[in-house]
Amino acid sequence: MNRSLVRTALTVAAAALLAVFAAACGSSDDAPKGAKTMSFELTDAGCVPNTAKAPAGPITFNVENAGTSKVSEFEVLDGDTILGEKENLSDGLSGSFSLTLEQGEYTLYCPGGDDEKGTLTVSGELKSANSPRVEEAIAQYRDYLEQNTAELVTATAPFVAAVEAGDIEKAKGLYAPARIPYERIEPVAESFGDLDPRIDARENDVPAKEWSGFHVIEKALWDEDTAAGMAPVAKQLLADIEELARKVKTVELQAVQIANGANELLGEVSASKITGEEERYSHIDLVDFEANVEGAEAAFEAVEPLLSDKDPKLAKEIEAHFEDVYAALKPYRRGDGFVSYTELTQADTRKLAQEIDALAELLSEVPAQIVSE
Amino acid sequence: MTAITRRRLLTSAGAGAAGIGLGGATGFLVGQETAEAKTDGTGSVPFYGEHQAGIDTPAQDRLHFAAFDLVTENRTELRELLREWSRAAAEMTTGDMIGDANSVELAPPEDTGETVGLLPSRLTITIGFGPSLFERKGLGLQSKRPAALREIPPLPADELNAGESGGDICVQACSDDPQVAFHAVRNQARIGRGTVVMRWSQLGFGRTASTSRSQDTPRNLMGFKDGTANIRAEDTEAMQRFVWVGNEGPAWMRGGSYLVTRRIRMLLEVWDRSALEDQEATIGRDKYEGAPLGGSKESDPLDLDAERGGEPAIPVDAHVRLASASANGGERILRRGYSFTDGVDESLGELEAGLFFICFQRHPERQFVAIQRRLGSSDALNEYIKHVGSAVFAVPPGARSGGYVGETLLA
Repeated sequence: MNRSLVRTALTVAAAALLAVFAAACGSSDDAPKGAKTMSFELTDAGCVPNTAKAPAGPITFNVENAGTSKVSEFEVLDGDTILGEKENLSDGLSGSFSLTLEQGEYTLYCPGGDDEKGTLTVSGELKSANSPRVEEAIAQYRDYLEQNTAELVTATAPFVAAVEAGDIEKAKGLYAPARIPYERIEPVAESFGDLDPRIDARENDVPAKEWSGFHVIEKALWDEDTAAGMAPVAKQLLADIEELARKVKTVELQAVQIANGANELLGEVSASKITGEEERYSHIDLVDFEANVEGAEAAFEAVEPLLSDKDPKLAKEIEAHFEDVYAALKPYRRGDGFVSYTELTQADTRKLAQEIDALAELLSEVPAQIVSE
Repeated sequence: MTAITRRRLLTSAGAGAAGIGLGGATGFLVGQETAEAKTDGTGSVPFYGEHQAGIDTPAQDRLHFAAFDLVTENRTELRELLREWSRAAAEMTTGDMIGDANSVELAPPEDTGETVGLLPSRLTITIGFGPSLFERKGLGLQSKRPAALREIPPLPADELNAGESGGDICVQACSDDPQVAFHAVRNQARIGRGTVVMRWSQLGFGRTASTSRSQDTPRNLMGFKDGTANIRAEDTEAMQRFVWVGNEGPAWMRGGSYLVTRRIRMLLEVWDRSALEDQEATIGRDKYEGAPLGGSKESDPLDLDAERGGEPAIPVDAHVRLASASANGGERILRRGYSFTDGVDESLGELEAGLFFICFQRHPERQFVAIQRRLGSSDALNEYIKHVGSAVFAVPPGARSGGYVGETLLA
C-alpha cells in the first residue's frame, strides 16, 4: 500500500458512500433535495457545536474555520469508520459535504482541538432506497469479499507458522498465496482505519517504530535471508488479518462504492505494482498486479447488470479490455506465478501500463452511470 | 483596438522582445496588428477551414507535440477517434472546456481543467498521419497512402533513436500559453486511450521561426537568429508552390501538407566555447544583427558569390549556404520549429537541449530530404548538433464545421 493512498482511499471510500447516499435521495451532484443543513465552526476548542441532533436522512454539513490554526479538519465517524470529512480548512476557509445517516450515535471529530470529539445523535427511521437488483449486486460482491478474506486467513496461517518456525524457504513459498487474496480486496481493508497500513505498509510509508505486516517479513526473508525476530510480527499479522475478516462481514456496501473500488484497484496497479515498488524484496509485483485486476473485475462483474441497462456498449468494451490486460500478462507467466519484476524491461512495463490506462479510463465512467439505480 | 492578450502586455513593456533595436525587419506595433488578423481578435484561431491551422498561423511561442501509435486496426474506431479529437480541438481553440460533463460529482470531469480561466492564446491543433498508419493491414488504407509519404530514409550524420522517431498519428499543439499547449495534447491523449498509445512527445519553448512578416526573427539556443529567410504565410505564391499539396497527390490530400519533425540535439557545451568568428562562419551570418556574412542588415539577401580576402564571405560549408534555395535547386520549406530542453543527459551530465525542428512542404523527398542530405554530408554545423529523432506525417486538409480532420481519407 501507498501511505498517501490510505488517506485518499479513506476519503474516496467515504466520498463514494456519501455520494451514493446522496444519490439515493435522487441527486448525483450538489446537496440532496430536502437535506437538513447543519453548520459547524472550527475553533481552538474543536468542533463548535460539539453536540448536535438530527433526524435520520440526508444532512449537509457546512464547516467553516472561524480563526483557528490548531484545527483544519472536520470528520463524521461511525465508530472508527470515517463517513465524511472536510480537510485543509485553514483560517477563513469553509467547505461542505453531504451524508445520509440512519438512526444512531456518530462522532464529530476535529483533530487538534482542546476537546476534539463530539457527538451527533440521529433519530428516526430511514427509508432504504436499494432496488432488488442493487441488493443482488451488493450480495454478489459481499460473497466475493468474504470468500477472499476466508482465503486470506487460510493462506496466512501456514505462512505465519513457517515464519515462527524459522523455515525461510517454506515461508518464501507461502508468501505469494497469502498476498493474492489481500490484493484482490485491498480497498475494503483501507476503509477500516489503520488496518491496511498495519498489514501492508512498505518501509517508508510509516515511521520505523510503527512498521508492521507483510513487508517487514518480506524484507527479512528476501533481503536479509532470515526469520529471526519475525515471530511476533507474523503473529500480529495473523491477528490483524483475522480482525479484517471479522470486520468485512459487517461492512456497509453500496453499488457506487463497489464500482469505485474497481477504480482504486487499478490505481494501485498504476501507482505501485507496475513500478515494482510494492514487493521490493520478493519482486512478486506481477502476482499482486494480477490480483488487483481480478479484484477489479469481480467488483465490475457485480455491478455490470446495472451498467448494461444504461450503457451496454461500455460494459462490453470494459469486458474486452479486461481480456486485453490478461492477454498482456500472459507472456510473463511462469509456473503458477509470474517472472520476477526484475526481469521486465521498460518495453514490457510500458505495454502493461498502457493497457491498464485504457481499461481504467473506461472503468472510471461506471460509478456515474450506475448511481441512479 | 483588439483585445490585449497577456503576451502582448509583456512584450509591449519591452521585456525581451526579439529584434527590437537590433534592426528588426518591420515595425513592432504594425506587426502585432497583422498577427491579430489571423485570429478573431480574442486570441482564438479557428479550427475549421480549408487548411488545418498551425501551418500558416503566425508561429506561437510554445509547442506540445506528440506522436501516437494505434492499438486498433478497426477503421470505425479510427474515424471515431478523429471525430472526437476534432470536436475537442474545436472546443479548446475557442477557450471552451471539452464536453459537457464537467460537474458530475461521481464522474471524472471530461476536461482535465488546467486551462479553466486561461485564454485560448492562439491555440492550434494540427493532426497528421504517418506512413506506418497506412501499413496497418486491418485499416485497409494501403492504397490510399500518398506516394510522397515515405519514411525519411537514413541520412548522413543521423544518430536516430527509434523510440523518439516515427508514429502512426501526430498531434501538434501550439499556443502562446504553455499550459494551453500542454493541456491540448494531454486531453487528446486521454480521449485516445484504448485506441492509441503515446509513442513520444516533445515540449517546445520559444519558437525558432517567423512564419509571418509581422513576427520578429527569434533566436535559437545557439544565440543566432533563426528563420530569417523562411517562407512567410503572406507569400501566397510561395505557400502554393512549396507548402500546400495540389493535384499531384491523392484527392484526399489536396490542401494538406507534409510535416517533417527532427529532434536536433545541440552540443551546447562545445558550441559555447567556440570563438565568435567560428560560430559566425559555421552559420554564415553575423551573430547579433543576423546579416549574411558580407552583408550589413538581416534582411539583406544572401550573396553566395561575395568574397572577403579572396575567400567566399559565406564559407562553402556554412549552414545558410548549404540550406539556401540556390544551393537546393530553388527548393524552400516552411520552418516552424521550437527550442527544447529535457533536463540533463544522464550519460554525459550535460544539457539535453536543442531544436525541435518542424517543417512543412509539398514534396518531402525533393525538399526536406534533399536539403538534409546536403547538410548532413557537408554542413559545418554538424560538429555541434546531432539529429536524434525523426518523423514524417501527411497533414490532411482542414475540416469543415461539423466534420473532422481525416474525413477526406476515411469518409
